Amino acid sequence: MAAESRSKVPRRLTDMIYQSLFQHVPFNVAIIDRDYNIVEANKNFTEHFGDWHGKKCYTVHKQRMTPCDECPALTVFKKGKAIVTDSVGFDKHGRQTHYVGHCAPLKRTEHSPVEYVLEMIRPVTETAQWQQEYQILFDRVPCYITVIDEQYRIVRANEAFREKFGDVINHYCYEVYKRRDSKCKNCPAAKTFRDGKIHRSNQVGTSKRGQDIYYVVSTSPLKRTGDNVAHVIEISTDVTDLKKLEQQVIEAERLGAVGQTVAGLAHSIKNILMGLEGGKYIVSLGLQKNDKKMISEGWEMLERNFEKTTALVKDFLSFSKGRLPSLKMVDPGEIVKEIVGLYKEIAARSGIELRADIPSKMKQAPLDPDGIHTCLTNLVSNAIDACLMSEKKGSDVIIRVWETRDKLMFEVSDNGSGIDYELKKKIFTTFFTTKGGQGTGLGLLTTRKIVQEHGGKIFVDSTPGKGSRFRMEFPFKRLTALYEEEQKLKKEQS
Amino acid sequence: MSKDILIVEDEPDVATYLAAILKTNGYHPVVVSDAKHGFQSAKKICPVLICLDIMMPQESGISMYSKLKQEPATREIPVLVISGVIQTDDFDFRSYIPDESIPLPDCFMEKPINVAKFLKTIDTLTSSPRKKKRHTHGC
Repeated sequence: MAAESRSKVPRRLTDMIYQSLFQHVPFNVAIIDRDYNIVEANKNFTEHFGDWHGKKCYTVHKQRMTPCDECPALTVFKKGKAIVTDSVGFDKHGRQTHYVGHCAPLKRTEHSPVEYVLEMIRPVTETAQWQQEYQILFDRVPCYITVIDEQYRIVRANEAFREKFGDVINHYCYEVYKRRDSKCKNCPAAKTFRDGKIHRSNQVGTSKRGQDIYYVVSTSPLKRTGDNVAHVIEISTDVTDLKKLEQQVIEAERLGAVGQTVAGLAHSIKNILMGLEGGKYIVSLGLQKNDKKMISEGWEMLERNFEKTTALVKDFLSFSKGRLPSLKMVDPGEIVKEIVGLYKEIAARSGIELRADIPSKMKQAPLDPDGIHTCLTNLVSNAIDACLMSEKKGSDVIIRVWETRDKLMFEVSDNGSGIDYELKKKIFTTFFTTKGGQGTGLGLLTTRKIVQEHGGKIFVDSTPGKGSRFRMEFPFKRLTALYEEEQKLKKEQS
Repeated sequence: MSKDILIVEDEPDVATYLAAILKTNGYHPVVVSDAKHGFQSAKKICPVLICLDIMMPQESGISMYSKLKQEPATREIPVLVISGVIQTDDFDFRSYIPDESIPLPDCFMEKPINVAKFLKTIDTLTSSPRKKKRHTHGC
């Protein structure tokens, strides 16, 4: 049918079609004879290369006086088959240009000799530059980039990745990233293959030198639309240095806490010693003067400071107990319930209402339950004292626990006496107490120490006369890292 | 000449002890338990000496010392710092008050004090005219 319909097209129309096609096809088209003469060329060709009449193709394309060493037209004349070429030449302004060309034989019949070569070439300088720039960007971007196929084989990897992980093309990603022989659990790439969406996760891999590499990986489909993902691109940011820094900060915080503890302890002991010396001095003075009142005053001082010594030793033993937290998977809400159970009655006796605010469902978290119990005990005890110090009636203390996307939070708030800015600066840094002889100043220091050992932070927000709010924040990633570290240590020890 | 000595100390037993020593030795101790009242009292009674603790609730002794040295009425009063947070040999006061225009305290003493040394220092600081400030650690 097609041949029949073609045969019905008048010759003149066919000529018009071919002529139009020849002139308007988006290529530079030229016809070349066996002597390299350009015998015909379209408008694009003329516009790009300038006047070609009576010139050889190598002169027009390459500004040469002799034929090119590897002449594509000659190859077509010899072999009679079309070829694709990739070359560099000059335009009419003498600018060096990259070309992609297509050379086809022109012959009367299939078996007759090639009379001319039809050359269609397209400048690709801009595209070549883009490709080059893209390649540089791909290689030099400060991330590890790999493209993996559905079998999890790496089909492309950038320079940064190859430098860190070695030559990895066609290897399985889990072999290269993690030195594993099977797929990773919770593989973000697998999720992307499944749902075509971007996924992120924190991972630890092994470099070609066997070092641990901490990285944040983002996996995305290598296409903008559609469900069937054939390739996934994995872009990883190396956070190993940050991780080390983080560990150093935790260590520094721990050491800082130790230093402050020792300084604070020394301060407390010195004050007690001075109180004892004072008691002794006043008793002695009273004896000299036979002043019973003075003897009694000195004796009370001695008693008071002995009691302080006992309280300090007791609290310090509790403070120094368990240098490292023993983490277990526990329900944080349960710890809060225990504290409320312990203190509800005591608080109620002083007219203070102690309440808990716990979400109905909470996931388990790696915590040292005894440590958190101590922290909450200290905070609740302080909150109750703050309420007792306040002149207000109807005080209440609320313990809240909740989780955000990346943190576990505990909060103890009260509407008691509150503290001012100067006090806020001191409460965690020394053996500071607002309770005179009643407190040793170790409660909040102990609390801060436990929170820091969990990789967390404690904050206070307080207004004199209105109340205080103490919040303990534990980033899940730090808790998990500590838990994993502890499990690893346990394994090694066993 | 007045023998008023101001004791700024938040620990009641320590304050009682210092006051007892001073009273027994012919001085007139005035005790306040915080820096705010300490500064007010210093301006009001203009004592011959101030015994100052460093670590106190609300406002520290360092902050009060700084105010004393910036107030013309109290600038010349000798100050004996008595604290449990310092170790006389290596206490770096300038790390707390880097402003060189504020002179160093006349003397530092570590708790618990040596009574004889304490009294000797008090005597030196209150009886001799202060021609030159002592910029040394300890006395």
